[in-house]
Amino acid sequence: MAANALKQGFVRCHDCGLLISTAEHSASCPRCHSELHARRPQSLQRCAAFLASSFFLYIPANIFPIMTVNQFGAGDPHTIAGGIVELFDSGMIPIGLLVLVASILVPTSKLVGIALLLLCAHFRWQVNARRWTTLYRIIAFVGRWSMLDIFMISILVDLVNFSGVQIIAGPAATAFAAVVILTMFAAENFDPRLLWDHQKAYE
Amino acid sequence: MIYLCRYSPHLIDFCNYRITTQHPDNITKAMNCTNYDACPECDLLLNNSSPRLGEKAYCPRCGLLLSHPKKQSVERTFALSIAGFILFFPSLLLPMVGITVLGSANTGILLSGVIALFKESMWPVAIVVFLASILFPLVHLSLSLLISGHLYFNRPNRFLVHWMHWMQHLDEWVMLEVYMLGIIVACVKLMAIAPLQFGWGLYAFIALLIITTQLTAGLDKKLFWHHIALLQKGHNHGR
Repeated sequence: MAANALKQGFVRCHDCGLLISTAEHSASCPRCHSELHARRPQSLQRCAAFLASSFFLYIPANIFPIMTVNQFGAGDPHTIAGGIVELFDSGMIPIGLLVLVASILVPTSKLVGIALLLLCAHFRWQVNARRWTTLYRIIAFVGRWSMLDIFMISILVDLVNFSGVQIIAGPAATAFAAVVILTMFAAENFDPRLLWDHQKAYE
Repeated sequence: MIYLCRYSPHLIDFCNYRITTQHPDNITKAMNCTNYDACPECDLLLNNSSPRLGEKAYCPRCGLLLSHPKKQSVERTFALSIAGFILFFPSLLLPMVGITVLGSANTGILLSGVIALFKESMWPVAIVVFLASILFPLVHLSLSLLISGHLYFNRPNRFLVHWMHWMQHLDEWVMLEVYMLGIIVACVKLMAIAPLQFGWGLYAFIALLIITTQLTAGLDKKLFWHHIALLQKGHNHGR
């Protein structure tokens, strides 16, 4: 017999967490009036769409310069990786590591991680669902921290604005911000309960 | 089969759940649905027992923190959101970081980063920064002030449910702590070039950051929803 609430005839409201019996045939939650869904509607499709668009935007985000340092007329464009290399070269290793984690390791592992989660839910892999749910939680938690680079650029652009030296944001900043936001949307739309639904070990 | 999980402090306790063998149809017919709860991440059907203060309830199957009741959640949320509201304006308007290069000085405030990006026609990035660091924190604070205020004074309001919805959806998009990290990294980068001055705006921002993290940590959503439902019910009966 299944331990899933859905298989025993209950649906949990997404917004307020109230458990409602499916026997009542109600379309909206009696407590908070939001629409009731057993699982997030079109979870995998939406997640895959956001993932695909963020994947394509990830390419320009890494190729184009994220900011340009104009020193007395001579421009010096930096890509994301270039900025980190420069931090390491000038001896600021802890900060360099921080930026490396936030702007390269996190987005890359997020793209791979969400893709794996999608594959697992779609092809009904028999896995240790608890571990995969932990993977989902890490992805959902870590996503917002990649905005670090964008905020840093907005501060640098504002502060370093002198007649001799200027910092100008590059086209990669837009692409990178889009990558971060789209992967956040992808994680938000993924329903971890889909990882558990088809596990034979828990039925 | 229903997992009756007993809640134990600070530990995921696998041994303490009993399994009753009842046919699901009987259960569905017999029970009042509020007696049960489901894990939001693995959909395990659980007994709806509320842990005491200081205790934590974990899902026995996936290990999710189900509930962690906080002391005086409504009162604290109300107090903290007032404090956050007061601190928001100095941190928005006072200078945060100043830099001096070759005798000419430049100071930055929270809003000027957005304006600088706008001027460079990077408006998509400017909008994102504006939303995540200014508008969403402000809206989040006002919503928590409104909600906890209504709950504190026991005032029913038909918008409470909507406010609660919006606040929950905004939660993830308030990125003050990420912005703080951005300030730190930018300062470390600039310190190598020129001397920096830190203004009152930065101190107010740090205080605001501490308050918002306390606010989100102390907000017991389960309790709030329950409280709102009771208020609305009492209001409808009264009319």
